[in-house]
Amino acid sequence: MNILVFTKRVAATQEEELRITGEGQAVDLSKVPFKVNDWDNYSVEEAVRIVDKAGGSVTAISIGDAESDEVLRRAIAMGAKDGFLVETGEALHDPFTRGELIRGFIDKEKVPFDIILTGVQSEDDQFGAVGGVLAGLMGLPYASMVIGIDAVETDHVVIRRELEGGLQEKVKVATPCVLSIQSGINEPRYVSIMGIRKASKVERKVFKADGYEKGSPKIELVKWVYPEKKGGATMLDGELADVCGQLLGILKEKGVYQ
Amino acid sequence: MSYTLIVAEVRRGVFEERNLDSLGLGALLGAQSVLLVPDGAYQVPDKLVDVVLKVKAAEEAYLNPMNMGKILEAVFAARGKPDHVLFTQSSSGTESAAYAAGLFGMPVITDVSGYDRDAGVFLKSYYSDKVFGQFKAAGAPAVLTVRSGSFREFAAEKAAAAAAEAIEGAAAVEARTFVEYVEEEKTDIDITKAEFLLSVGRGIGNQDEVAGYEELAGALKAVLSGSRPVIDKMWLPKARQVGTSGKTVKPKVYLAMGISGAFQHIAGMKDSDCIIAVNKDPGAPIFQYAHYGIIGDIHKVRDKLKELAKG
Ligand SMILES: Cc1cc2nc3c(=O)[nH]c(=O)nc-3n(C[C@H](O)[C@H](O)[C@H](O)COP(=O)(O)OP(=O)(O)OC[C@H]3O[C@@H](n4cnc5c(N)ncnc54)[C@H](O)[C@@H]3O)c2cc1C
Ligand SMILES: Cc1cc2nc3c(=O)[nH]c(=O)nc-3n(C[C@H](O)[C@H](O)[C@H](O)COP(=O)(O)OP(=O)(O)OC[C@H]3O[C@@H](n4cnc5c(N)ncnc54)[C@H](O)[C@@H]3O)c2cc1C
Repeated sequence: MNILVFTKRVAATQEEELRITGEGQAVDLSKVPFKVNDWDNYSVEEAVRIVDKAGGSVTAISIGDAESDEVLRRAIAMGAKDGFLVETGEALHDPFTRGELIRGFIDKEKVPFDIILTGVQSEDDQFGAVGGVLAGLMGLPYASMVIGIDAVETDHVVIRRELEGGLQEKVKVATPCVLSIQSGINEPRYVSIMGIRKASKVERKVFKADGYEKGSPKIELVKWVYPEKKGGATMLDGELADVCGQLLGILKEKGVYQ
Repeated sequence: MSYTLIVAEVRRGVFEERNLDSLGLGALLGAQSVLLVPDGAYQVPDKLVDVVLKVKAAEEAYLNPMNMGKILEAVFAARGKPDHVLFTQSSSGTESAAYAAGLFGMPVITDVSGYDRDAGVFLKSYYSDKVFGQFKAAGAPAVLTVRSGSFREFAAEKAAAAAAEAIEGAAAVEARTFVEYVEEEKTDIDITKAEFLLSVGRGIGNQDEVAGYEELAGALKAVLSGSRPVIDKMWLPKARQVGTSGKTVKPKVYLAMGISGAFQHIAGMKDSDCIIAVNKDPGAPIFQYAHYGIIGDIHKVRDKLKELAKG
């Protein structure tokens, strides 16, 4: 089994204030820390587990600037054999263009694979589209929201897809295929700083994105805007004890606490 | 004639309610609206669209992105290409939308929650609703997935019931086949029945902190629930998850601690009578949905509440 797993470096904005610059041209990420996309952490782990059982090797691939090497080292520390960086300087907001670039890369470099794994979505743009676009472009079978891989056979896999409200569906998918992995599918292993340091000794190959065929973007980002303000909450202000007292008062008023 | 193709989401005999948002966006787009549904006894709101287009396909085949590719091919052949193809923002909706985009070379914009008709731009969430991007599709047909709750008020009744059309489905593909549904395991705690939920998010930091929130829940006589990351990390059992892929809850009070307010979470709790959010980030989207908010460290709030509740 050769598994390609796509892993992306994203801005960790959950606790950050985001500023739109100019007339909505950009989002200022200069002071925001970066990390591996949460979903990709699960898919790298899943790839390594499949190979541990079925044999073969895992290749981690990232598209981005030189800094994305960080997520490749991480994947190698988790058990990937190779790390490929497809280096691009320009912003690729369009998941379609990204899918085309990945197809172009796999075709031209003749990268062998049985299964391609992506995350369900990136934390930052939440398009959730790259895996599906890639499968459509390459004419490969596809499944998303994969929350369990129950069997890996020579010509197919049996997986479970997460639907809404706790329901799942079991699906048989022929290989080679593309699967988009949902968070929670496994418990990703802990990666130590020592492990990453060791992984840096494994050579990562760098490819230039300009070398691969892709069309012009199919969607255009016109501008960035802040969300429309809804009603908004009544903020409880004051010292900690005072604020907590007010909160208990609300609970009493609502009749859920005496 | 230009038209909007609305791909209905159906599941186990039910026409999903979130289709109404696709119908609403369809109305805003203004072209003839054509609702695609598989053959079957679905309750289709046929006054809200111009055409109901039935395709001969079993439900499981219809929900399979590879079959959907074949079905779309048949629709395009019979009616010409639409300007827009709308799917629901859901597990199967996004799966088929992205796949179809790749297959036919169509632009795709997911999680669309707004449309500016004058500017012709679609609003798409970034960073869990902290900012939005305004997007234009550079070609037609464009594929869009529609966020639940965003457009249903625009779905307008037409004077007459929809015209009925039908197409033959294609032979089911073998590369991907449905095996069975797997139900969630039943547990003794049902968070949908609780009057008071204390819900914790990734902001609690690590597993060791969970016990402290269990104690707080005990002191307040609340039931403990959580956002998806907390369940993914197995800090709380799956049955305690609030959100689209967990439970939809409507307690009297929903106290959210360390939860940012991503759409998938909000969709599962927004109809609670009273929402109280505690978060250290004043810009956290959850404050837009909460009735009361506290900006501060959740651990400090937890410890102080425990102290006051005992006293
Ligand atoms: C404010 C802002 C600025 C941005 N600036 C830039 C920029 O300057 N340069 C730039 O290149 N991009 C930039 N991006 C990111 C770019 O917009 C997105 O990557 C693009 O929209 C494609 O969507 P996606 O692939 O991330 O989506 P999804 O479909 O949500 O991603 C799903 C999966 O696809 C795979 N995947 C996606 N992208 C990559 C990747 N890069 N490498 C490896 N695997 C991947 C992963 O497995 C991921 O889990 C920016 C985004 C934002 C919000
Ligand atoms: C298909 C799909 C289905 C999904 N289904 C669900 C679902 O059912 N339910 C769900 O919840 N999510 C779901 N998600 C995930 C969702 O997109 C978000 O990733 C998730 O809701 C984020 O959880 P969170 O708010 O706990 O974490 P984060 O977004 O990381 O937010 C943590 C918050 O804690 C705050 N914080 C941190 N430390 C402190 C502190 N000491 N004091 C105070 N505040 C602090 C931060 O400011 C931040 O706002 C789904 C995603 C996908 C793709």
